[in-house]
Amino acid sequence: MPPASPKPPIPDAFRPSASIYSGSPAAVPVALGLPVMAWQAVFFLAPLVFLVVITFWQVRSFRLEPAFVLDNWTRILWSTPFHRALGHTLQVAATTTVLALLLALPLAYTIAFRLSARVRDLAVSLLVVPVFSSYMLRIYAWQVVLGADGIANAVLGAIGIPKLQLLGGAFSLQVGLLTLTLPVAVLILVFAMVGVDRTLIEAAENLGCRRAQVIARVLIPSIRPAIVLAGTTTFLLAFGDYIGPLFMTGSKPPTLSILLVDTVKSGSQWPRASVVGVSMLVILVLVFALGRLAGSVRIRRRSP
Amino acid sequence: MQKRFLPDLSRRGFLRAGAGVAALAASSRWSPADADEPNVLNYLSWPGNADPYLVGEFEKQNNCKIRIKEYVGGDQMLAVINQSPPGSFDVVLADAEYMHLLRAADYLEELDPADYPLKDFWPEFQKFPLHWFDGKLYGVMSDFGYLGLSYNTEVYKPDEVGSYEAMWKPKAKGKVGFFDWYLPSMGTVSLAAGNHPPFDLSDAAFAAVKKKLFSLKSQASGFYTIADIFSSLTNGQAHLVPGIGEWITLGLRMSGKPLDTIIPAEGGLQWTESLSIAKGTKKRDLARKFIQYTASPDGQVRQATKVDNKKSIPSMAGWKLLNDTMPKEAQILRLELGKPNVMDEYKKGRIAFRELPKKQKIEDWNDVWSEFKSL
Repeated sequence: MPPASPKPPIPDAFRPSASIYSGSPAAVPVALGLPVMAWQAVFFLAPLVFLVVITFWQVRSFRLEPAFVLDNWTRILWSTPFHRALGHTLQVAATTTVLALLLALPLAYTIAFRLSARVRDLAVSLLVVPVFSSYMLRIYAWQVVLGADGIANAVLGAIGIPKLQLLGGAFSLQVGLLTLTLPVAVLILVFAMVGVDRTLIEAAENLGCRRAQVIARVLIPSIRPAIVLAGTTTFLLAFGDYIGPLFMTGSKPPTLSILLVDTVKSGSQWPRASVVGVSMLVILVLVFALGRLAGSVRIRRRSP
Repeated sequence: MQKRFLPDLSRRGFLRAGAGVAALAASSRWSPADADEPNVLNYLSWPGNADPYLVGEFEKQNNCKIRIKEYVGGDQMLAVINQSPPGSFDVVLADAEYMHLLRAADYLEELDPADYPLKDFWPEFQKFPLHWFDGKLYGVMSDFGYLGLSYNTEVYKPDEVGSYEAMWKPKAKGKVGFFDWYLPSMGTVSLAAGNHPPFDLSDAAFAAVKKKLFSLKSQASGFYTIADIFSSLTNGQAHLVPGIGEWITLGLRMSGKPLDTIIPAEGGLQWTESLSIAKGTKKRDLARKFIQYTASPDGQVRQATKVDNKKSIPSMAGWKLLNDTMPKEAQILRLELGKPNVMDEYKKGRIAFRELPKKQKIEDWNDVWSEFKSL
């Protein structure tokens, strides 16, 4: 067997930059990623570990003292206010998720498929603005709108409807939480819908599918991971929100984030508050993991 | 002279002052590095107390700057001071009920009564019990006020709110707002249950207060922060709020809102703010001068007439200056000498000090409050 002829040399013009390839190519992304990993370790992981550690500490005369006591865990996890706040928070976040998806899907569909490219870009910009504007200000604006003498009741009064108690209940809470979550959910879904392969839709239409069938059989399956992501993001935002429950319902009933702050205020009880915080974190991780699972599971379809 | 003290009391002025305070708070953040600055007085205090209206003259007179570290609530104040190195603060403003905890933790300097114009104070406040420990002085009162029952005057007439029992009436269903702090809120419920003083309760009396509090659940509209109390009263979420006072409703009333505060028949609570010198300070003289200034007639008038936070003041000399220079303000604040005034309720024995629970732990009261909120 004749020896393999040597490969022709690569012309310099086509050779990648020597500085990039001077070491092992595999080490480059590692080297670039190291600072980020170090940053995460110092500013995310370490505080997280510390958060768990202080759940075992104790407070004496408003002073945090290192210890190893289980009292904080037993006291919080077995307390009625924690159970009620947990149930209420899960229910509120789940409701927000369902409402946000129900509202976001048709809105995103309209933006992605019914608007011209120019108007679509404008709509996306209008959705991005609230995401980065002050949530607190938006909540205060809703207080002006929904107050007993607010704009909503003034409009209702003008058409003969007596004053309604719009602030301070489940309705106003959902208004607040949807203010936070809806733009995010719509944006996720719009970006997913814009990326859907149009030829599939056209093919379905050419084969005689009605619009509802196209949406149910082509569009929704195509964007299923995005729907899961939008739902998970909405749930996570609503679950951890403090401002909406505080200002739209007056903390009635308290959510876990309100209970967390109340616990800190109660004699500087950082360890017990940390128990609430760690519990919230565990639930969020579980929800996130379930979301990932739901997004990745393949749905078996029967052949037509 | 009158012009110097007269604040703009219009709604616009009120809002402008609020914005000014916010800007000030943002621009005068306290930093531990300020501790060693000889011309910086480090002040641990409730928000708004480094407003130029209050401290500008002192800064000018003493060629110094006040750097405020703000806290909201006594627990937070204790947490801040616990977590700061000795010498971080020169002056501490505390609610009087927290002073014994500061004293017990050895955070306060003993004060020489001769250094301060205590003889100018109303006799009732010259030896204020929450400031003296073992016959030694640790704090000087800067201002005070009464907490009772605040109400919407379009919904309630004064005779309807003469007793805290108004909160349990069908008319108040879903309209009783609560200041989200166990101490004043449960304190007024304790008064309503017939306890005087309201914070010195046997376990049986405490259980009765808990039961009475829980019976208010269906009446509650919500649990509010200070900022949200203003909006809940003005937007109609709440028609009655126990445990707050004139310092909230007076400013709103002057902006045209139909609100007032009454001390019901069962009595009210006195809140008191006290100035102390923090142990470990390197600026003891400046700290002393600051307390002297705040207790002086001029400093006291400024305390009473701060645009967004009306207070009563303990100094009779301050009252006299206020009456001489701003008679209308003195009338509105009920700080008129020789006429019915804020001292009347005190003299009648209807006012109890706001104190920390005497026989139970703070946590026990807080737990009851958390449970009430979650019902």
